[in-house]
Amino acid sequence: MNRITPRTAGRAIVQYRLLVLLILVAIFGSITIGDFFTIDTFQSILNRATIVGFLALALTPVLIAGHIDLSVGSILSMAGITTIAMQPVIGNVPAAIAGLCVGVLIGAINATIVVVFKISSLVATLATLLIFASLALLLTNSQPLSSTDPVFGIPLTGDLLGIFTPRSMMFVAATAILFVWLRFTPSGRNLYAVGSNAPAAKSAGIRSNAYVVATFLISGLFAGAAGVLQSLSTATGSPVAGAVMLIPAITAVVIGGTRLEGGRGSALATLGGVLALGALTMALEFNGVPAYTQAIYTGVLLIILITLDRLSSRDGRPASRTLRRVRVEPTTPREIPGRNA
Amino acid sequence: MTVRRNIAVASAAAAVLLALAGCSSGGGEAPAAGGDGSVEGKEICYITAANSHPYVTPANEGAQAAADAAGVKLTIVSEEFSPQTGAEQLDSCVARGVDGILLWPLDDNSYLPGLLKAEQAGIPVVAIDTTTGDDSMALIASFVGADKYDQGKISFEQLDKALEGEGGVVIIAGQAGNGTEIARTGGFMDALEASDSGIEVLATVNADFDQQKALVAARDLITKYGDQIKGVYAEDDTMAKGFQQALAESGLGITPFVIGINGEKGAFEAIKAGTQYSTIIQPPFRNGELAIETLIAVMKGEKVEEMVPLENTVVDSTNVDTLEPAM
Repeated sequence: MNRITPRTAGRAIVQYRLLVLLILVAIFGSITIGDFFTIDTFQSILNRATIVGFLALALTPVLIAGHIDLSVGSILSMAGITTIAMQPVIGNVPAAIAGLCVGVLIGAINATIVVVFKISSLVATLATLLIFASLALLLTNSQPLSSTDPVFGIPLTGDLLGIFTPRSMMFVAATAILFVWLRFTPSGRNLYAVGSNAPAAKSAGIRSNAYVVATFLISGLFAGAAGVLQSLSTATGSPVAGAVMLIPAITAVVIGGTRLEGGRGSALATLGGVLALGALTMALEFNGVPAYTQAIYTGVLLIILITLDRLSSRDGRPASRTLRRVRVEPTTPREIPGRNA
Repeated sequence: MTVRRNIAVASAAAAVLLALAGCSSGGGEAPAAGGDGSVEGKEICYITAANSHPYVTPANEGAQAAADAAGVKLTIVSEEFSPQTGAEQLDSCVARGVDGILLWPLDDNSYLPGLLKAEQAGIPVVAIDTTTGDDSMALIASFVGADKYDQGKISFEQLDKALEGEGGVVIIAGQAGNGTEIARTGGFMDALEASDSGIEVLATVNADFDQQKALVAARDLITKYGDQIKGVYAEDDTMAKGFQQALAESGLGITPFVIGINGEKGAFEAIKAGTQYSTIIQPPFRNGELAIETLIAVMKGEKVEEMVPLENTVVDSTNVDTLEPAM
């Protein structure tokens, strides 16, 4: 067993930086706010984190695969207005399913543009972000839709087992499913290979395109779920609900440690990032820090965490087991077309 | 051990830790001191529309001043004009077990779940400036804000007086479907119909309470109607300013009577210079103050009116020198 030296202590802080951050936020919150450290506060943080959390989950596999989906906010808006608009027509539960379907459909459109037309996902999803943000405004005449059955969604934010609400339970369950897939199944692990080195993955027999399509469909499904849950629990389908959601979602994912360059990330890390951001927001909010100042804290935090991340992965070892595995695969020296940055 | 796994372990551990920590203390809030006891030391959560806005900021300052005066701790959280954010903040405020909530509603339904939770928890809620849907209003103890329908009516009366009961008028309205726009247009039109005035509305355009949009819309109106425009009803002073800009650009020698609402500094200057006929002061600082005072009354168990209106003060050339701009 190593002795504790400043060096090892420093390394431990770097490795467990999210945990350190959460503890710091908890201490900061408890000192500055009475009754911060309660189960009600935790329930509320988790409940509030659900919507951004689903968007962050939507982004996680896409980012691991080396792509990005900027359209998640617009998908949220479209799924939300679909759900509320369809409620009186086909009933509550089918309307929610219709909302999810719209999400998956937009995901399929993204996948088609990226995989078939070979357009960079940054550009492709920027385009769909714009198109569906506009379409949402057009379909609703830029007015928020009010639900015809506002009571239906209210239990979604009710109490469940003390620390959950039904919708935050769904978020935690979705995180667990995504975690198990990415970590414990061969197909999940292949995704890391696609993200870290697509040509190498391809020559190793992994069908990269199929994985990319799958990640965009998952992204559409989760972003759709965010829209359905938000619209039902607020009984409102707002065409602009998603407009401000992309940046917090990306921030949460990156704070968790998933890399925008691809090949690295985890659903559990995203959960940690979402919670850290949610707890920080709430602690700042209840200290009376204005919303426009909160962004400074978030930005500084992001820089610190990413710097620590780089420090911790600089000591010669590959960033992940999967990456290491891909490197030892023999790559045949031939041209492999169609890898988008 | 890989870094990735460490992150995962750390996150999981953190989640568990927070959860366990949560168990150590329950949420049991002491029951409110019954009767009409002091509210000193009590906590109010104020969910405001924005931190930085010409009308909202002074309202926030007024709320803070009233809370300080009563010795109440006020926590201000900002929705940044997103009702979805506001709904989540309402939820957190209830979870924190505060003693009262002041809410600035931004749409009809989003706050309903939070309001139900507040009612269950026995936390009184007062709405400021804007009303919300009927289901939600039923859960709100009182609404404190300007009577915007009345502002529309007053605006008609002002314009009718200026035009001596005849002539063409254009309406530069706010954002379509916004509660304030509906009330200010409705009040004006209803008053027009109820009167025997010969005023004719030439056109109504929506310029979203935005000076630039009003400028663009006003250019079109001036081109189309020219000297038929005898009067202009702008639903706030910034849009009135937009019209005046367009008029100056056009070089037409017409001088229609322009009226606005809100009592902004620029409108005061325009009234002094004679380019604007009148405005209506809706004092934001007082709005915030009155809202907190009303909420405190509710917390003390006193009976309050369902609607506590702000006074609407008309400003024109006769009294512009004696009054202060609202913002």
